[in-house]
Amino acid sequence: MMAASERGAAATAGLIALLLILVPLAGLHLAGPVGLSVYAVNVVGQVMCFALLAMSVDLMWGGAGILSLGHGLFFALGGYIAAMHLLRTAFATTHVLPDFLQFMGQSAFPGYWHLFDSLPFTLAAILLIPGLIAFVFGFVSFRSRVNGVYFAIITQALTYTAMLLMFRNDTGFGGNNGMTGFHGIAGLPIGGANAAVLLTVLSTIAVLLTLIGGRVLLATRFGRMLAAIRDDEPRLRFLGYDTLWLKLAAWCLSAMVAAVAGALYVPQVGIINPSLLDPSVSLEIAVWVAVGGRGGFYGAIIGAVLVNMVKFWLSAAAPSLWPFVLSLLVLLVVLALPNGLTDLRNRSRSWMTDLGRGFREAGRGRPERGAG
Amino acid sequence: MAVAGDAEAGALQPLRLMIRMLKAGAIILVALIGFLAAREQARADEDRSAILGSLCGPGLHAPMQGAGQIMAGLPTASSADLNWAEVVVQAFSLRTLRCAPAGTGYIATPAGMIDAVTLKPAPTAPDDLRSPFPNLRMRVLLDRLTAAIAVLNAPHPEARLAAVSTLAEHSDLIPPGLAEAALKRTQNASVAAALRGLIVLQRLQSPDVSQRVAAIQTLSQDTTSRTENQLESLRADPAYAADPQVAAALDQGIAHVRFWVRAGAVLSLLYNGISAGSVLFMSAIGLSIIFGLMGVINLAQGELLMIGAYVTYTVQQVIRIIAPAYLSLYPIAAIPVVFIVTALLGIVIEWTVIRHLYRRPLMTLLATWGISLLLINLVRVSFGTQNLEFITPPYLTGGVAVVGDFFITWNHLAAIFFAVAAFIGTLALLRLTSIGLFIRGVTQNRDMAGCIGISTRRIDMLAFGLGAGLAGLGGLALSPIYNVNPTMGTEFIIDSFMVVVLGGVGSLIGTAIAALGIGLVNVGIEPFYGAVAAKVIALLLIIVLIQWRPEGLIAARGRR
Amino acid sequence: MPLITRRSVLTGVAATLAAPAIIRPGWAADTVKIGCLFSSSGTMANLEGRLNYITKMAADEVNASGGLLGRQVEVVVTNPNSDWPTYAQMGRQLLQEQKVAALFGCWTSVSRKSVLPVVEENDGLLFYPLHFEGEENSKNVVYLNSPPASSVLPAVDYLMSGDGVSAKRFFMVGTDYVWPRTINKILKGYWTAKGFTSSSWHEEYVPFGFSNFQSIVNEIRTFTSQTGGQPIVVLTVVGSSIADFLRECINQGVKPTDIPVLGLDMVEADLEGLDTTSLVGNLNCWAYLQNAPGPRNQAFLANWAAYVKSSNAPYNPHVAIDPMVSTYDGVHIWAEAVKKAGSFDVPAVRSAFGGLQFPDPSGYTLSMTSENNYVARGVFIGSVNAQQGFDVLWQSPGTPKPVPYSPYG
Repeated sequence: MMAASERGAAATAGLIALLLILVPLAGLHLAGPVGLSVYAVNVVGQVMCFALLAMSVDLMWGGAGILSLGHGLFFALGGYIAAMHLLRTAFATTHVLPDFLQFMGQSAFPGYWHLFDSLPFTLAAILLIPGLIAFVFGFVSFRSRVNGVYFAIITQALTYTAMLLMFRNDTGFGGNNGMTGFHGIAGLPIGGANAAVLLTVLSTIAVLLTLIGGRVLLATRFGRMLAAIRDDEPRLRFLGYDTLWLKLAAWCLSAMVAAVAGALYVPQVGIINPSLLDPSVSLEIAVWVAVGGRGGFYGAIIGAVLVNMVKFWLSAAAPSLWPFVLSLLVLLVVLALPNGLTDLRNRSRSWMTDLGRGFREAGRGRPERGAG
Repeated sequence: MAVAGDAEAGALQPLRLMIRMLKAGAIILVALIGFLAAREQARADEDRSAILGSLCGPGLHAPMQGAGQIMAGLPTASSADLNWAEVVVQAFSLRTLRCAPAGTGYIATPAGMIDAVTLKPAPTAPDDLRSPFPNLRMRVLLDRLTAAIAVLNAPHPEARLAAVSTLAEHSDLIPPGLAEAALKRTQNASVAAALRGLIVLQRLQSPDVSQRVAAIQTLSQDTTSRTENQLESLRADPAYAADPQVAAALDQGIAHVRFWVRAGAVLSLLYNGISAGSVLFMSAIGLSIIFGLMGVINLAQGELLMIGAYVTYTVQQVIRIIAPAYLSLYPIAAIPVVFIVTALLGIVIEWTVIRHLYRRPLMTLLATWGISLLLINLVRVSFGTQNLEFITPPYLTGGVAVVGDFFITWNHLAAIFFAVAAFIGTLALLRLTSIGLFIRGVTQNRDMAGCIGISTRRIDMLAFGLGAGLAGLGGLALSPIYNVNPTMGTEFIIDSFMVVVLGGVGSLIGTAIAALGIGLVNVGIEPFYGAVAAKVIALLLIIVLIQWRPEGLIAARGRR
Repeated sequence: MPLITRRSVLTGVAATLAAPAIIRPGWAADTVKIGCLFSSSGTMANLEGRLNYITKMAADEVNASGGLLGRQVEVVVTNPNSDWPTYAQMGRQLLQEQKVAALFGCWTSVSRKSVLPVVEENDGLLFYPLHFEGEENSKNVVYLNSPPASSVLPAVDYLMSGDGVSAKRFFMVGTDYVWPRTINKILKGYWTAKGFTSSSWHEEYVPFGFSNFQSIVNEIRTFTSQTGGQPIVVLTVVGSSIADFLRECINQGVKPTDIPVLGLDMVEADLEGLDTTSLVGNLNCWAYLQNAPGPRNQAFLANWAAYVKSSNAPYNPHVAIDPMVSTYDGVHIWAEAVKKAGSFDVPAVRSAFGGLQFPDPSGYTLSMTSENNYVARGVFIGSVNAQQGFDVLWQSPGTPKPVPYSPYG
């Protein structure tokens, strides 16, 4: 763990360096070819949100050994709440009802929308509503000792159910139209250069804070108990600890972080749509963490940044190639690099020394640290 | 001249005169008959011309009038007229009729143009004639005309019976005398019985009370909701229902019909539920075996189903090229091919990827997802994204009305049978063969099974192959029902998990029960809240059930 | 050592990967770019993918006649993968990075509404080729195809008239999104204005890609057998659901002579692979049908067939659908506007729309006014025939003026 905390400090420093580079570059975008274009600033901001989302999954998976394949739900929840606030502020300026209410035959916002006029309430809701839903779901699941693959599948079913619900226009949240048509954030016009810079900086700061906070958390007693749950939960129970509340606390925290990521993401893309709730989106998040290496958070960031940069690049350059790249990446990581890229040095060392027996070892499967 | 010869000639004179007169008379008679026949023909031709003129007339009312004229003339038409009417009506429907001015026209047949009045070849027909367009109203009339002509003229009794039931749907629009004329032209007993029923039906509006009652009773034998509505509207008419006998007959009839319609609705619900359940079962059965055996949730199961459907398509295309006469048998020919191909694919997947992830179920889950993405995109790149065109064999098209409005479609019924056969077959494999015994052993206690000498590696491979093959067969069964495209598997995968998890890991019977249950719940809620809400409620119910009973309906025996 | 961590190295790599986005040039000296937002994967792929090819074919025609203002037109194709937010992302990329002069894109109204804020923020121009629900009038979208007044109401009027079937009862089946919902809302308002009450109609919505219409067709059969007047089905499902619905109708014996189906999104491509002999008589309503008479259509069809063969497009060379022709019209209308304005700048092009005319393959002469960005199109009502195509049942005498906002909605 000594090496880990040293690496952690290094990672933190790297991130601060990134921030110091990013902010002036972003600010200089207007000053011609040296700076990042608005588009690039926007891309970086989106990727930072994904990094935050990956960290939330890593808290549960790397920290407590529980894989969630439904974090898209909390990401989308945070996004929807932010979108509701943005729509209300847009309405205050334009006085035009959003399309999805118009074609459902409504002539005004339903009552509960007015709560989202205030920014403090919205911020609180972004944390509390997903937290509450996570609490209920987690309480029932963990109490029944549903874990491992079962839990992963149930989270998939949960996000799938939410997707079906939100795609219906009857539910009242825009259906598959989603919510779009935001006007401004903090007084800046949405989609404009200043808003993009502001949101990118906010997202990067959020990543930084979560990284530092997360590493600190993992080093506390709570973090160690989570590690114990990851390693052998029954043993911890037999020692007298009530693992339910530990897991639940981590789960709710993870959900809230994901919701914040969603709330920062939606103003940057200008639209939220139930397709975020698609099970494959949540599976991709797990892939980011797996690629980077789970546990310790910075693997999650690396994985999220790398995979999404490749995705952005390929979607523009060779769009039909991306699904192949993704599937091959998944298989590569799972078979050859189960601990992700952060373990690359160790793995390459072991490959070098075991070259002769390499194939047969890989064939039988090597045991690795932590649960599978 | 000679006086004696003259006396003789004088005696024969009247005879010769008579013969001459008879000859003349015969010639006159023949000429008259010929003349009359020609006049008949000319008049018939005139009639036909007039009708053709109406059919070719401008606007919408003229063709409808022409059709009406044909319909009115049917009860007294000769066979020649009936044949002519059949040809012309068909030509109008298929738009092969070509209108020329003044009541003439031509029909385009594969053998060349023929004259529309005489039906004789007409090689000198011009090219640019207008082909009249039957609008929907006209099509309705044409349908009825076709049925009316068929009832008089069709060569096969089944065709005549079908025509009678078509006519019975609108019994008030049949010209009087048609059914009686048809009775005279048939020897078949069931056709005659059906026609008598039609005659009775036509008397629904007759002033004679006993005839009305008879008509109502006949109508009540047709237990559909259309009949129910028809009887209801008759009952609501105060003038019609004034007579107590008629009113009583109506009440009885409505009660009878309503009972059977309700029964049909319940059966329909059950049938739809079983059909939905069989679909779920086909997609989940392979997953159940794989999950039970190896604890692997195979996210590529939907894609194996999709590949099964694509292999079926390939078999169809191959048969189309090498043996087109047997094309309608392609689903049956595809059964072994699909099973072998998808089983082999499953074995390859197991051997290259899954077995390296021994005891790492979460990694396996991600790996199978990666494989599913790969399969989807490989298929997309090779076959394209569009839905595949399947020829639906005749034994899978259409269906039959059973009771009330309950309608069994053959393709869904085939899927049900297929699912049952797969269930029995797999159960037999697991219970009665040694491979099945080994699979069950490894499922219950892997380590012990390994200890007593069962090669768990081989069993893993074979079981994965079996699970994959079953998924492929599921794809085959679903190809007549669902759209086949590269992403079709993604629709089934979440539901398959839920079925497996609910039913109990590794238990085939549990999977069957769960599939049936979920199918029925889905279909039961659908009429109230819609398809999506039904799915959402079903999923939430399952999630709740799992919390309460995590091991599923039928818990797996043995230590994991 | 601490500063040069794995983390920062990888970020550097990532930034380098993003570099092409920074150093990509704007307009090359001798080409002008137009961008396509049509999916070639996902649920809309079978329909939208063709539109990429028709855009290229139209651009080739413009280039063959001398280019535009001395430049050759280059088509940039993207693939939004039938994911609506990706349309917005791609649109932003095309406008901000590729600096395209015009966008041609979107099929579903959802995708158009996702792209709308992007074109408005960047003052771009989106040429939208599908008939749609109206209720929108942005200066950044050119509406190439008809709103409900000229794409839905003529067909419904026909069915309700004596020439049709005197329809009095209406069963609406639609995919659950903005276009069907708005169309049905407008239709209900229209029927109310004609004196019908809510007992005359019934609405059902299904998700995108829905395929099991067993229960819904059962309901339709029950609806047909009820009394109260001739019923019709107003079908606003889209994509692969159309073929599934029709197949289920065939299987359950629901005939057009019992209850005609007006398939508002039904095109020739949806009938591929179906045995349409039992569907003859069902209707649709578009601004173009493949069987439209006239020499311009024959020339267009021949060109398209040749283009498919020469570019190896994976589509049937003998099938042409309205959105293809509308996209083709869009490219030519844009070219005309650019020539008239003498510039590629969007405000100049926009002000050149007024009075523009273009004779298109449907046989009509399209026109635009300076009031809005709607293109006046002809109206065809098509009737399914046994050869998986549509016969022209009726066509409008001229091009009615488009009505952006329906009085019935």
